[in-house]
Amino acid sequence: MAGKTVLKVLGAVLGLGFLMACSLVSPETSFAATHPQETGAGRPICSECHTTDLSKGSLKPYAALDHTNDFVKDHRFQATQDLNSCASCHAPAFCGDCHAGKAPMKPAIRLSDRPDRMAPHRGDYMTLHRMEGKMDPSSCYTCHGRANNDKCRVCHR
Amino acid sequence: MKRHTHVALLATLMSATAWGQEVSLYGTTMAEMWKSEVPGFKKDTYTPATQFLGIDATKLGSDNLSLHLFGWGRGDLSDLSQTEPNRAGGYLSFGYLQYRFNQANAELKAGRFTVSQSTGIEQVDGVSGRTDLIGGFTVSGFVGKPVAAQVVDPRKQTNYEFQHDFIYGGRLGWRVTNGAEVGVSYLQDGTKAAKDLNPPSLVDYTRKQMGADVVLTPLSILSVRGRTVWNVAENQFGVAEHDYTATVKLGSQVTVTGNFAERDFLYLFAGTNLPSLFRQNENDLYKGWGGNITWNTPWSVIAVADYQHMHRETYGDVSKAGGELRWANAEKTFQMGAGGHIANAAKTKVVDSAVPFRSLSYGEARAWAMASKGKFSLSVDGILQRYRKSNPYLNGLTNVYEAVGSLGYQATTNLKVSGDLSYGTTPVAKNETRGLLRAEYRFGMASKGGR
Repeated sequence: MAGKTVLKVLGAVLGLGFLMACSLVSPETSFAATHPQETGAGRPICSECHTTDLSKGSLKPYAALDHTNDFVKDHRFQATQDLNSCASCHAPAFCGDCHAGKAPMKPAIRLSDRPDRMAPHRGDYMTLHRMEGKMDPSSCYTCHGRANNDKCRVCHR
Repeated sequence: MKRHTHVALLATLMSATAWGQEVSLYGTTMAEMWKSEVPGFKKDTYTPATQFLGIDATKLGSDNLSLHLFGWGRGDLSDLSQTEPNRAGGYLSFGYLQYRFNQANAELKAGRFTVSQSTGIEQVDGVSGRTDLIGGFTVSGFVGKPVAAQVVDPRKQTNYEFQHDFIYGGRLGWRVTNGAEVGVSYLQDGTKAAKDLNPPSLVDYTRKQMGADVVLTPLSILSVRGRTVWNVAENQFGVAEHDYTATVKLGSQVTVTGNFAERDFLYLFAGTNLPSLFRQNENDLYKGWGGNITWNTPWSVIAVADYQHMHRETYGDVSKAGGELRWANAEKTFQMGAGGHIANAAKTKVVDSAVPFRSLSYGEARAWAMASKGKFSLSVDGILQRYRKSNPYLNGLTNVYEAVGSLGYQATTNLKVSGDLSYGTTPVAKNETRGLLRAEYRFGMASKGGR
């Protein structure tokens, strides 16, 4: 009997908690899952079309999502805060070109017909990594510290 | 994850695509061939074939349910090109079901996916969810098993990997309408402390991190982005990382950016599954600062000048400076770029017993162009790295270069074939010639830009 009472109380608490949680959810409709038009070639400047309004997903000016030189090189903050905004234009596999977890070839070979794209490790990076790794190994860690390090282990056992 | 679990997961996900009303399939088939000439050794010929395949199936019985798959397989047709002992290999990069709610930008994911809303980028077999809350708040979280690369010899996987049995994390953010956002996040990888392992380990590889991220736009021309990450594991509490970037827009054409970063390797690399590399200098500290100026000229030229100063307590100081020019015509049928950087390591301490000063100094120059006309596309890309003579890694070389040419043909709307030819020299292989054939195809109704 005591067990049933505990379960009822627990159920009531969970139910109330669920209702409270639901009441906290934003009533705003979700933004479009897919950008209605294909973007053109090259790096898009979102603010060219979205001139004054805020991005519905990120509540930031569209200019904050412009694919400028800085944005392309340091997009991790946007990926942390506004991943849904990225997903409205980029298919999930776009990120996988560089952030695949484990890759059969370096991005620079995969994208060797796209010299306009930022692809890590162009040229003979096997030599260069001995220097860049000493300058700042934390830049290696993002991709090779947790995964995609099979080749690293050949020497760094 | 075991192989049969992989197969079951893949079969389930693949069969689910049959329910999709809109299915996009995209793939790239690549056949490579290269010859390496290493002095003193026989010439090797490598011919690996690689298949990338992705599927996005939407409207799986409901407008909100979708499936996303991406992976690759590879086989060597002649000499082994990989470091693994097998001629064939493959990997499921991600495979998950996603449900997007019509309200609050809420979504749920289940399967293998990558999360970036916490203190790092994590690949997880598990579930995740996010939603917007009233008052500008957002909340997200994930739980599952971390996807970690296997070591070459599994018998050498000892307790450090054993600790990576379970991963979870989440983030709470708050947005205000002027574009500012602050967030706090937490991530834990591993449930057992080193002392609780059987047998107990002296080294603890459990990772517990707390993060705080911010973007502020106090003025319409000024924004500040950054984050701080703390390691909060027992007996290892400390700041793992500060990384902040400020951007100022001067008119409509010029942008000035400044960055400061500080990383403590003991706390930042705490959860690595490659400790032989990332935990060899645990007491080291990195400090870096720099910036760049970008000028979007009225003549479709983008000019960037950048500078970066890096300091490591063990190796000393390195300064890197350079610039880049990009130009594209209005139709973007012709683009070209050129740039160069110089890394000056004159203030480095002795890097190791065999390497004198200046061993980290080098210069790099790169130029590229790409054009398209009708169904044809063409690109060329050349890169030159010039090192100091005193660098012992180079086997007597000072100039290392690579040139790549690519010719493509858009056979149909959905199919493009291209061929690349590259030639270069490296300190290991004096001459390396590489050929690559690529077929890219994409079928389906759903459209996404950016690919």
